[in-house]
Amino acid sequence: MIELEEVGYAYPQGEREAISDVSLSVRPGECIFITGPSGAGKTTLCMAAAGILEHEYGGQKRGRVTIQGKDVKEYPGLSEISGLVGMVFDDPEAQLIFTTVEEEILSALERRGLSPEQIEARLVSIMEITQLLALKDRAPYALSGGQKQRVVLATTLALGTDILILDEPTAELDERGTKSIVSVLKNLKAEGKTIILTEHKFSHFRDLVDRLVVMDMGKVRSLGTPEDLVGDEFVKGVILPDFSGIQDFSLPAHPPDPAPVVSVKDLVHCYGDVPALRGVSLDITPGEFIAIVGENGSGKTTLIKHFNGLLRSTSGTVTVDGKNAGTAPVSELAHTVGLVFQNPDHMFFANTVAEEIKFGTLNLGIPHPDQVMERMLAETGLLHARDLYPRWLSRGERQRLAIACVLAMQPKVIVLDEPTTGLDGREAREVMEILKHLQRDGRAIVMVTHSRQMAEECTDRIITMESGKISSDIRRRG
Amino acid sequence: MSEILQYVHKDGLFHRMHPGTKIFLIIVVGLITILTLDIALLCLILLAVLGMALAGRVLREVLQQMALILAMSVIFILITLITMPDGQVLGYLLPGGYLPVTTGALYAGILLTLRFAILIISFQVFVITTQPRDLVNTLEKIGVPSDYNLMFLIALRFIPTLQIEARKIHEAQLARGYYPGRGFIGRIKSVAPVLIPLVSNALSRATVLGLTIDMRGLRTRARTPFREERLNLLDKAVIGILGMVLITFLAATILPFFF
Repeated sequence: MIELEEVGYAYPQGEREAISDVSLSVRPGECIFITGPSGAGKTTLCMAAAGILEHEYGGQKRGRVTIQGKDVKEYPGLSEISGLVGMVFDDPEAQLIFTTVEEEILSALERRGLSPEQIEARLVSIMEITQLLALKDRAPYALSGGQKQRVVLATTLALGTDILILDEPTAELDERGTKSIVSVLKNLKAEGKTIILTEHKFSHFRDLVDRLVVMDMGKVRSLGTPEDLVGDEFVKGVILPDFSGIQDFSLPAHPPDPAPVVSVKDLVHCYGDVPALRGVSLDITPGEFIAIVGENGSGKTTLIKHFNGLLRSTSGTVTVDGKNAGTAPVSELAHTVGLVFQNPDHMFFANTVAEEIKFGTLNLGIPHPDQVMERMLAETGLLHARDLYPRWLSRGERQRLAIACVLAMQPKVIVLDEPTTGLDGREAREVMEILKHLQRDGRAIVMVTHSRQMAEECTDRIITMESGKISSDIRRRG
Repeated sequence: MSEILQYVHKDGLFHRMHPGTKIFLIIVVGLITILTLDIALLCLILLAVLGMALAGRVLREVLQQMALILAMSVIFILITLITMPDGQVLGYLLPGGYLPVTTGALYAGILLTLRFAILIISFQVFVITTQPRDLVNTLEKIGVPSDYNLMFLIALRFIPTLQIEARKIHEAQLARGYYPGRGFIGRIKSVAPVLIPLVSNALSRATVLGLTIDMRGLRTRARTPFREERLNLLDKAVIGILGMVLITFLAATILPFFF
């Protein structure tokens, strides 16, 4: 279906090739799983295979890409290729152009020369497969991340191509959302579609995958069936996050103060009339590493926004370091609670990594900002990036930079919302090691996560949330 | 949160009307509004437009824009008072005979306010009662090139996304001890930490958006419409009435110039 022969490509602004010497032959009906660290060239490989690099990008190109036996150069343009290959990019927001789910899917169906009856039949069947019937009149801004992913997938299916290329289709999804995408893909594979996808969560896709491609530094490092590659240490580190031994270096150096630094009592929060939190109580003490797990919409993010005053309670109290978090200004609470949001790109605005880190320290008047900045660079493994532009860093580095920015303000409590989104197993472990070191310094860590495995292997206390309430709170040590 | 200029899914008078009829409606209303100098007539049109919003069950959405319109009217009247004093002096804005309030300037300010209020409200009623897809199809049919339609559609579609994103960025920076600044100058000075991520994220999104448009063939492949909107009885009645109103108005305002 798709052949890549010795493909190399350097972006116009790039110094080295983003991918080099990539050869891959994709057979009809096959599911290829591409993985590797962030910045390894997975997205570039997808765009090469879809003919996008050839037709839409400048830069240095080598090698040959053929789609259904025909060199991509011989297709007049993307519009023709898009009759054969459907591509889903990793940012669902940018691929929703219309203002309702139904319109979005219709926009693709209406450009295939079908009769109104055929369009209607396919529209319904596609919305059934992707479980979107109930959402057909929703606007994109009113959809969750997982729903957006499904709409984009549905629209790509509407193009009716035999080949699907999906770039991280489950990056922002919880367990349930990921499973629903996997089950859609299973049906498509059964229909005979050829699927190429880049992903990190191998364990969810195991039944689906015929061959595994592991990328590193722009090259194909390993290629084979999952059984062939399971013995390879590098491959294992990438696809199966391994946190073994991580608990060993977390014992606090000094016995932490048992007095809670954050105390939540009977917290209720409503968005308009809709209750998001319905009576939550918990204490967080220094030196604790807490995971908050639960489905999308269970109130996790709403809860943590109360810790630094971004949200104020409808009723109930939140006390942070003796201050009432219902009234104290956010800038004052930021001294105690540092909040790292899910998407690091929502905070970067400075010209260099160093300036980015110093922003928070200068705002709070932390002494010796330069020394603090240097220490943060060292702690988060970013010394090499001091003078780089933050947005040029890889996803893994950007995530660590986001943590460094918050850490530099020296909060007693560090709260992270999904800190391993879009990271491979090895990068996720790096982030966990940083957090473990912080815990040893006596700081409290609160991490919102979808990953049960990470919660169980790295933290000491797991709080499960369900429709606005804590359904279980289990301490595992101490 | 109120989303600006977003389609509201309801079953109202305007939702049932053909987009073409609505375009004709705002053109007629717009023409009369711009050509007339009669404040009484403008007040009448404003009431009519609000009445239409009520009949179309979107009055609540329209009234949300009132703060903007009021703020605008204050600015317009201040500007006309300062720049075009004319007619009788009614009093002074500042003690000691500075900034006279004149009847001519007041008249001009109110005229401007009414015109803008009518144009904004009628455009808003049009946009929030029309599925963007129907709107684009109609524009295409009356000869607007598809690239411009797509641009218009994307602009409408991304307003709430940018609003939501701006709020997230604002929160992320607040958590870093960012101080939003006080007063007008303070706000301008402190805009970089929010505006730079917002614009950078939007720009990086543009590449994917462009590729998506091409891969769906939205600019190149022919469209076979799924649902074709046709003019119904309501449309024909509205077009008839509007046509007569327009002719009467033009006859009443323009003919006197010739005789």
